[in-house]
Amino acid sequence: MNNSVQEIKDRLTAAFAGSADLTIRSLTLKSRCSLSAVVITVEGLCNKEALSQSFLNPLLAYDFAAMNAQQAYDTVISSVLASSDVVELKDERQIVPFITSGFAVFGVDGADGLVAVGVQGYSFRGVSEPESEVVQRGSREGFTEPLRVNMSMLRRRIKNPDLVFEQITVGSKSKTQLMLCYLQSAASMCLLQKLRQRLGSCDLETVLASGYLAEYLEDPHTSRLFSGVGISERPDTVCGKLTEGRIAVLIDGTPAALIIPHLFVEEFQGVDDYSNRTYYAAFIRILKYLSFLAAVFLPGLYTALAQFRPEYFPTWILTETSGSLSKTPFPVTIEVLMMTFVYEIMKEAGLRIPKSLGHAVSIVGALVIGESAVTAGIISSSTLMVVATAAICSYVTSPLYPPITMLRYIFIIAGGVCGLWGIVLATAVVLISMCSKTSLGVPYMSSLSPFSLKTMRDVFIRSSWKKLSRHTIRVQKFPETEGASCSRK
Amino acid sequence: MQQEVRFSSKRFFLTLMLCACSVILLQNGDVSQSSSFAFNVVCVAVGLFICFLMFIPAAVIKRRTDADVFTLLQGRSVSALRAVAVFYALYFIYTAEFFLLPYTDMFCKKYYSDAPPCVISFLVLAGCVYAAFKGINVITRFGIFLFAFAMLTNVLIFGGSLSSLNLANNSFSFEGDPADFLKNTAYFITPGFIAVLFACLSSYVNGFRLRQTAVSLLLTGVKFICILFFVCFAVGAYASRQEYQSFVLSRVAHLGSFAGIESFLTGVSTMSVFMITSLVLCCIGKGFGKSKSLPFISFAAAVIFIIHLAAAYNQSVAMFFTAPLLFDSLTLAAAVIAPVGCYWLIRRSSREKT
Amino acid sequence: MKRLSLTAALLSAVMLSGCGSSHKIETAAVIENVSVDSRGGQIYYTFFRLTGGDTPDGTEIPADSFEQACDLARREYIPNLSLAKLELLMINRDICGEVLKRDIEYISTQSSFSPMAYFTLCDSQTLKSVCENTSVQQLIEEQLALCKSQNADVNISYLSLFNSYSRADSGDVTVPYVSCDGEIRISAIKISK
Repeated sequence: MNNSVQEIKDRLTAAFAGSADLTIRSLTLKSRCSLSAVVITVEGLCNKEALSQSFLNPLLAYDFAAMNAQQAYDTVISSVLASSDVVELKDERQIVPFITSGFAVFGVDGADGLVAVGVQGYSFRGVSEPESEVVQRGSREGFTEPLRVNMSMLRRRIKNPDLVFEQITVGSKSKTQLMLCYLQSAASMCLLQKLRQRLGSCDLETVLASGYLAEYLEDPHTSRLFSGVGISERPDTVCGKLTEGRIAVLIDGTPAALIIPHLFVEEFQGVDDYSNRTYYAAFIRILKYLSFLAAVFLPGLYTALAQFRPEYFPTWILTETSGSLSKTPFPVTIEVLMMTFVYEIMKEAGLRIPKSLGHAVSIVGALVIGESAVTAGIISSSTLMVVATAAICSYVTSPLYPPITMLRYIFIIAGGVCGLWGIVLATAVVLISMCSKTSLGVPYMSSLSPFSLKTMRDVFIRSSWKKLSRHTIRVQKFPETEGASCSRK
Repeated sequence: MQQEVRFSSKRFFLTLMLCACSVILLQNGDVSQSSSFAFNVVCVAVGLFICFLMFIPAAVIKRRTDADVFTLLQGRSVSALRAVAVFYALYFIYTAEFFLLPYTDMFCKKYYSDAPPCVISFLVLAGCVYAAFKGINVITRFGIFLFAFAMLTNVLIFGGSLSSLNLANNSFSFEGDPADFLKNTAYFITPGFIAVLFACLSSYVNGFRLRQTAVSLLLTGVKFICILFFVCFAVGAYASRQEYQSFVLSRVAHLGSFAGIESFLTGVSTMSVFMITSLVLCCIGKGFGKSKSLPFISFAAAVIFIIHLAAAYNQSVAMFFTAPLLFDSLTLAAAVIAPVGCYWLIRRSSREKT
Repeated sequence: MKRLSLTAALLSAVMLSGCGSSHKIETAAVIENVSVDSRGGQIYYTFFRLTGGDTPDGTEIPADSFEQACDLARREYIPNLSLAKLELLMINRDICGEVLKRDIEYISTQSSFSPMAYFTLCDSQTLKSVCENTSVQQLIEEQLALCKSQNADVNISYLSLFNSYSRADSGDVTVPYVSCDGEIRISAIKISK
């Protein structure tokens, strides 16, 4: 790699098609041989002050005397650069990834070698509390967009060389940097190898969010209703998962980590469970499971009972419900479907509109749709109550919201058309689908099915820390994990 | 497609136990009304002991060769494998009908009077094709959830019947004649079909012990006896007035003002029949070396459905497919004669080679 | 295309499976109580619908048996008749010998009736009060439960009544009897099989 400043300039200008943010600065170094050099940056990604202080000022002030190009280059690396983040490039092709990551690339005309200097200085959102995983007790830190900041948050929590960060680049156009994080002593090398292969097979052009990659990490030929890839915005949660042998994937530009393997029971575990008293944690867990069941089944059961088995309602509910439903123009199945659909629209509107208009939507939702529609006899009060209860319950386990929503529709239709029998049959099919799902070879329903008594200590109840710490159960040790017997590195 | 992973034998026996328990849920006048409860208990014990004996040939093959009937013959005798696969396919089609017919009949007579039985069986079979496609391992995993649901249903049925329990409804005396004994015992041998399922699928399981068979049959017996006890003493003579005595028991059960426990029983029956049919489809597929071939499984399900249609319109066909004695004879052939024959064939051929 | 046709077949099967037996809550005529009385030699079965109000909503059907009454009710009087929630059947003591055994026989063969429904004999005055106020029915049910707790031999549900009838040990069956002389009173009486 014998540098020709002009050639590098030409090639980069052509590659960037004259893009305005590419900055190529040619310098003449103080020497007797009139050495010329080049500093390449991308505007907006570098901290100009740091670039001047740690690099340009000392470089231009240094007297290279009678050094030739190669000697001058070596001197710059050993004596001139004040920055700690210096990477020697092996190849000219490495220039683009480095400059687009905020590095300044430096080369001397005629010398063999290029060096990238870390002077990143782009603006980014500071570390803040994650909105989707709020805790009562525990850290208030959440992941942010820059990869290195997220890595530092993990490293601060696990001060051990056992924690490994492995860099991978995906996206043929975006060249997004990923970081595989795992604990060497805990993670299964076999699962890790599988994960590398899957990431390697990712043929995306751009990776702009974690959701892009999640699909590639799912096991092939398994149900896509539930996700086999977990997601967390909390570094403490990720650290906890790493100690259980899981692997986290940090993506540059995404304030969340993907965690794999991910099991169904994990959706009901929260950070607070481990801070609260065991009895209270168990109570909350059971509450979450019941809420999940209510969110999925309640509208379907209500429809099935109202449509096929009204006599199962207690007398006082039956009189009220039949009185209320008899005043509405739609059949109960249509009414429940319609209300669930309207609720989803309101939810989406509430999420998308500016916060200042949020109150207006709430008022319209509560007054117009809620009260007026019942008063006008368009919908019945019992239907409204059932749909609202199911909606609230679905937020108790918010990561499961997408499958809950879909299952709710399935069970409303099954219950409305075939009654309770339809719900039973649909449940059987959904359970078969869930039981067949695996996450990186680990059965998704592990702990429950395949049943494992050892791991049940952190499913419906949370055992005391004394018991939990006695023996950490690695995820690859779950029964019937495919490829668990693979030998370690 | 997921590879079939070996799984725990305990879980497999849990699944088999649930399949065996469905026999009593779909019982419809197969137990003599003139025989007393104590007499029926003896019949249950004898019947399930015979079931246990049916397990022995398959258990011996499993212990000695770690194989089931099909894997035993694979690569050794193609013609024998084909013959055995055809025999078992016919047996399993009969088994599927033996459970599907009473189930749809109970469903339409007792639960949804206007629902067409063929549509019900079509939907169940459609679900079973999906389950069979996913494989035996997944079906046994589903069995754990069914077990939890069945336990809840048992608690509701037995707990709800306690208030109606009246020991004066019947006596504990030992009453019954030899004809009753034969009829009842023949009926209580029907759970023996699980021995055939074991004979065909045992190569997938790890850690098999014969005591697992004994325990699962014992628990099946306990369930049978509990149902018979409550039907006898909580429902009494009323049970003989209607078809499907377990359903009548669930109709009687109530916890205060909470009734409708028959829905739970229907749910457990639906899931049990769903599981049996799925296992049957798995076995048929395995026999022909196409255990996860969707077209083949769908074809087998279509055959079952066509026979079901014929049985729905022709009473004699339905009677043929729901005769406990014929089913027992076929089970005996499939659980004892066929495995013993296969084992003998393999031993002979290996002796000839050496 | 394969998936589409499979989904279409499944959906059509799903649509066919249950719609016919739908008893929609808003249209179903859920019967809570039935009383059996006699006027001018004709037996009348009165089906009381489940209502939230104080006034009972009864439909009187002249018939010779409960079976005939149900049949007539479904065809002519109450199209969406649902007897699954029947809680109480009251028979005038004067016609008990005429209808009781026959009706019990019929009810025991019907899976749609709950065998746990209450049964009682009444005097004419009580049956009149039942037609005037819904709270009377409620009161009778409460009194029946109390009566059972005081006298274990009394058969207050259909199930126990049927089983007592079927038992061959004695010739009498103990049943509750409701009389109304200003206030509701319940006593246990013996009737012969």
